[in-house]
Amino acid sequence: MKELYKDKFTSVEDIQQRFEAAQYICSEQIATCVYIAHNLQKPVMVEGPAGVGKTELAKTTAQILDVPLVRLQCYEGLDESKALYEWKYAKQLLYTQLLKDKLSELLEGATGLEQSMERIHSHDDLFFSEAFLEPRPLYKALHEELGCVLLIDEVDKSDPEFEAFLLEILSEFQVSIPELGTIKAKIKPLVFLTSNNSREMSDALKRRCLHLYVPYPDEKLESRILTSRVPELSDTLRKEVVSFVQQVRELDLKKVPSISETIDWAKTLLLLHSEQLDAAMVKQTLNVLLKFETDIDAMGDHLRAFINKAHKRSGR
Amino acid sequence: MQQTLEDFYKVIRAAGVNVSPSDTIETSRTVALIGYTDRSILKNAFQVSLAKSETEQDLVAECFEQFFSFDTFSAANDPHSNNTAAASDEADDPQEAKSEQSETPQAQSELAKMLLEGDTASLVTEMKKAAREVGLTDIWFFTQKSLYTQKIMQKMGLRDLQNDIAAMGKGDCPSSIAQAGELRNAKDYLSESVKDFVEQQLSMYGRNATRNLREDHLKSSKLSNIEQRDFHVMHDLVRKMAKRLSTQYSKKKKQDKRGQLDFRKTLRRNVAYDGVMFETYWKTKYIDKPRLLVMCDISGSVQAYARFLLLFLHSLNDVMQRIDSYVFTGNLIPVKDIFEKYPVEQAIDKIMTDHGMGGSDYGTTLLDLDDQCMDDIDNKTTVLILGDARNNFLAPRTEVMQTLHLRAKRVIWLNPEPTTFWNAGDSVMYKYKPYCHMAKTCNTLDHLERMLDDLLKAATS
Repeated sequence: MKELYKDKFTSVEDIQQRFEAAQYICSEQIATCVYIAHNLQKPVMVEGPAGVGKTELAKTTAQILDVPLVRLQCYEGLDESKALYEWKYAKQLLYTQLLKDKLSELLEGATGLEQSMERIHSHDDLFFSEAFLEPRPLYKALHEELGCVLLIDEVDKSDPEFEAFLLEILSEFQVSIPELGTIKAKIKPLVFLTSNNSREMSDALKRRCLHLYVPYPDEKLESRILTSRVPELSDTLRKEVVSFVQQVRELDLKKVPSISETIDWAKTLLLLHSEQLDAAMVKQTLNVLLKFETDIDAMGDHLRAFINKAHKRSGR
Repeated sequence: MQQTLEDFYKVIRAAGVNVSPSDTIETSRTVALIGYTDRSILKNAFQVSLAKSETEQDLVAECFEQFFSFDTFSAANDPHSNNTAAASDEADDPQEAKSEQSETPQAQSELAKMLLEGDTASLVTEMKKAAREVGLTDIWFFTQKSLYTQKIMQKMGLRDLQNDIAAMGKGDCPSSIAQAGELRNAKDYLSESVKDFVEQQLSMYGRNATRNLREDHLKSSKLSNIEQRDFHVMHDLVRKMAKRLSTQYSKKKKQDKRGQLDFRKTLRRNVAYDGVMFETYWKTKYIDKPRLLVMCDISGSVQAYARFLLLFLHSLNDVMQRIDSYVFTGNLIPVKDIFEKYPVEQAIDKIMTDHGMGGSDYGTTLLDLDDQCMDDIDNKTTVLILGDARNNFLAPRTEVMQTLHLRAKRVIWLNPEPTTFWNAGDSVMYKYKPYCHMAKTCNTLDHLERMLDDLLKAATS
């Protein structure tokens, strides 16, 4: 097994700069984590609320390292046959039907069951070879010639059984397929597991991973992210948007807006040619930011106060 | 450096973060990669590799700040600068001082020299060395504080220092007497600093031990005797327990498409294709998750227990999905919504004020149960009743219990009173008992845990 992309990522600052160039503003902690993961080849467990850029982190890393991103979306009921490999049963069955004649040719002249069996055995396990194997994400990730970034998304949605199955892959980067033997990774992939904490992961899995928690960004970071993602946005409006969103996060809401919503909202405001936040406009576009009717209702009383404060922050 | 890292792991463990040997190996590798140059990066590195959850990350950060701070002896510095000022006053007459120096007794010990020179750096080094030699990292309880302080001071050469002070104080030369006084002051500062240091270390290494002791005590003391101020600790304990139980027993119980071809079904479905098996079918297996229905008495007679039982119920609600919780005094009141809506203390207060107190009426409650929930109770449901069965001489309605016993998978009664009280006074426990699969006393957290372990084991098997 070869080492991973030996000469890339020389230091933590290097990572921060490269990520920034790829429009992903990462905190020092994220950069440190990626640096360690990359150099020590450890998987990273990324936790945090929805929409703070967990999946994006993996995508950006793949983009920077210039390797493919293999994504495995987890859900309840996901198992090996969906994640690793499956035999193409229909194809196998179809081939046995089509090759019936050939088989009888092969068996011609054989007397008794034993002899026939031996004849068949003398040919390899044709039906259980790679030609009949349907590769799934994990198998693909191990087979990538140049290495890859493997994203195991929302691992908390999967079953405990699947989690146990992941252990072998994450620590040894190899899997055992009964019919084919053990398959080792050509190059160890860089693995990101994301979790929304809908279920506590097992200690065994956690132990094998670096743990990264991505929180909602603070005002400064969010402002930088907006600058990089929505560069057309004017300075004043950006400050107002960020201040407004930060205030909204203080409320008790069902779904607190995260970065992705902030970006969407900023884009919406830009599309509507607003120069500044005003109550009417905010009210109309609030559904971009908040995803529940009750949340939007809850905002009602605070709206004006928030906008005023946002105006103050932007220095108007 | 290895020793320092190991001490750091010890601190983190003491703070309650589980650090396994393989974690320490990995972390050491990480540190070797990162280096010690950048403090914040090092901190981040520790956080990502040692912590396994958000709270643990905060703990690691806290420990890091505490462990890698070097402010000991900063206090000792100031007084010494005063002393040197005093000393220079003293040395107004340099000639005299010089001539006397040859005859007067001099500070002999290393420690005395360091103190006189105000060499804070070497003092800290000496102290840490001494601390390591006496095994300060094994400190557990606050009662060991003065012992360890003394031990460290001895190791650093306290005896020699005292000899010096005595020797210098004996002579009649004013400068050496003054120096002796200076040393005495410095010694006091040293002892203060060492004490501070020991305290700081205790707060790092001893944190867990003290907490464990307290928790053990709480676990085995009667729920009715636990005071309000321990409520928080109890809350944590109960949460931990509920979580452990639920992860153990709430595993997903549905299996689908697991490896085995269902030949019968496949053949039947593929008759249309002349027996060529285009469509495949797989064996499926369903195991249902257990359902739990909990009823908790919150009447005056179990008042002391009710808060804790509710606390437990709340935690169970947090971690288990298929659970119906009710409280009752005279009527059965569903509390699932309240638990979901409010944080724990508020929820408990709300329930206690809205529905609590008053005499319990098990008969009416059982009729309510018959009315509202009996249809949902089937042979997969476990019914858990928490209460003292003190019925205030009302009709016990045992016939409902009988039906319950027939329908439910298990009926379990946990009574805070010891068995000897069960038949005394207005208790109708003996009437209900025959219809329970299990009826036991339960008045400490340990009891509760053992009981529920049994309960859930049976419910999931």
